[in-house]
Amino acid sequence: MIRVSHLTRRFARIVAVDDASFELERGEIVGFLGPNGAGKTTTLRILAGYLPATSGAASVAGFDVLRQSMKVRELIGYLAEAVPLYREHRVEEMLAFQGRLHGLSRADRKRRIPAVLERVGVLDRRRQLVGTLSRGLRQRVGLAVALLPDPEVLILDEPTSGLDPLQRIGVRELIAGLAGEHTVLLSSHILPEVEAVCPRVIIIHRGRIVADGTQDALVRDLGGAAHVRIEARVGPDPREVLRLLAGLPHARRVEDRGPRDGFRGIDLYSERDLRAEVGALAAREGWGLRELSWRVPTLEQLFARIALDLSGDDQPAADPGRVLALAPPDGEEPS
Amino acid sequence: MRGLLTIYRRELAGLFLGPLAWILLAVSLLLSGWLFVAVLKDSGGDVTVSLRYTMGASTALVFLPPLLTMRMISEETRTGMLEFLLTAPVSDASVVLGKFLAALSFMSLFWLSKVVYALAIGLLGTQPDWAPVLGGYLGAVLTSALFCAIGLLSSAGFGTPILAAFVGLIANIIVLLLPMLARLAARDWVREAVDLVNVSAHFDTFLRGVVDTSALVFFVVWTAVLLFLATRLIEVRRWR
Repeated sequence: MIRVSHLTRRFARIVAVDDASFELERGEIVGFLGPNGAGKTTTLRILAGYLPATSGAASVAGFDVLRQSMKVRELIGYLAEAVPLYREHRVEEMLAFQGRLHGLSRADRKRRIPAVLERVGVLDRRRQLVGTLSRGLRQRVGLAVALLPDPEVLILDEPTSGLDPLQRIGVRELIAGLAGEHTVLLSSHILPEVEAVCPRVIIIHRGRIVADGTQDALVRDLGGAAHVRIEARVGPDPREVLRLLAGLPHARRVEDRGPRDGFRGIDLYSERDLRAEVGALAAREGWGLRELSWRVPTLEQLFARIALDLSGDDQPAADPGRVLALAPPDGEEPS
Repeated sequence: MRGLLTIYRRELAGLFLGPLAWILLAVSLLLSGWLFVAVLKDSGGDVTVSLRYTMGASTALVFLPPLLTMRMISEETRTGMLEFLLTAPVSDASVVLGKFLAALSFMSLFWLSKVVYALAIGLLGTQPDWAPVLGGYLGAVLTSALFCAIGLLSSAGFGTPILAAFVGLIANIIVLLLPMLARLAARDWVREAVDLVNVSAHFDTFLRGVVDTSALVFFVVWTAVLLFLATRLIEVRRWR
């Protein structure tokens, strides 16, 4: 539905988007993730036909965003981060304006406007002036405006920025409800946001696409840090314990976390959940287990790792200790 | 076309939903009414001359267009509204033209007040000379169109409405004063060049009650050129 290939956009001095390529299938909800200034908005603006690319190509439903811009604009609903709305108009007037821009007939407007307002939960505010709406309500109205022409593709730039946690959940649920009917590409720098809504994630950093895949796959492929956490009262020689654990099938690496009030903490890194095997081993060896849990890195940890790994030498991590805790170091990348 | 009409209607509604248009309308009507009465008394009751004055020498001519158009592009660039319009299925030209027509409609409405003066005086018994009145109306609308186009170009070029209005206003004044300044110039080619942009001379033909095709073409062409430049300026900004 959306196809981006080797997209590059330069502004005077900086390269905002650097050779980005990705594709979205019909009906997918994809999170476009990156720190501030990573090139998310620029990419979305290019897709929406607002900015031209310096090089590369982008198309929506087979239409080139630059050469067949009008066709593309008819197909997409684009909500910019600023949530542009005419403040001096009433909510339903703003929607009527959008309807006319998209050539909806009077009958269609009459039918669709209450329907989308209902859907985003602001039907009771339809006579209110846009300028008097709160930030969260404006966000919803913006979403209603984008949804009004029933676009095949929705491009949402930071749809939850500036909202309080409750409003965020509301908008999140709303977006999740769009799955299937619409292809949605939404950007965010807030991870839980994306984790909650988007099965697939594209991570952009310094203009480059650094990761693209389902959350599970990304965590598996790039994280490489899933492990069984063990805390047990073991014998006098912990090295023997470590050796036994390392000998389990599929075990990749064992990390001794040291003693803690009589118990020994050990992380056993592996590609699959080895809790049962560790449990059996503990029973056989007579270790007193206090904790046995399977820990998978979250997207957040992965994201921090990617961002920090790529930030290179010129930007030392502010707090290396914390980083280590977030993303356990792992030299061996799965091939 | 559909987009143009939609933008035009929205802009016109937008003008009158805010206080600016009403304040401008009230102040301009008050001042031009005052000017009309003053000239009428001064000229010993010459309606035609008074009407010519209120149209040709009116400050509304240079002040209103930049104040109407100042926000149309510069503010919308800042609020992101322009991004919304330029990603809607309408052409850039429709956006600029729709805004231009909204400002021009306001100006046409304002100038209509002069025709109302003439009608009122006609009803009171003194028939004005209708040719200069109607010609003057057309001339005032055409000159306003040109100044609205200058205003939009300025609004597209500057980031803040105040700056856009100021530059537009200065540009209008220069355009009107240029022929006077050119008279000081010694060289012929300067005067010839200025004749190409001589707004006052062309407006004067209308004020005399003559609808001259060349004057008509003069205004239409210059307005079109400026609107084209405004559209291009918006486009260029996206490439930067």
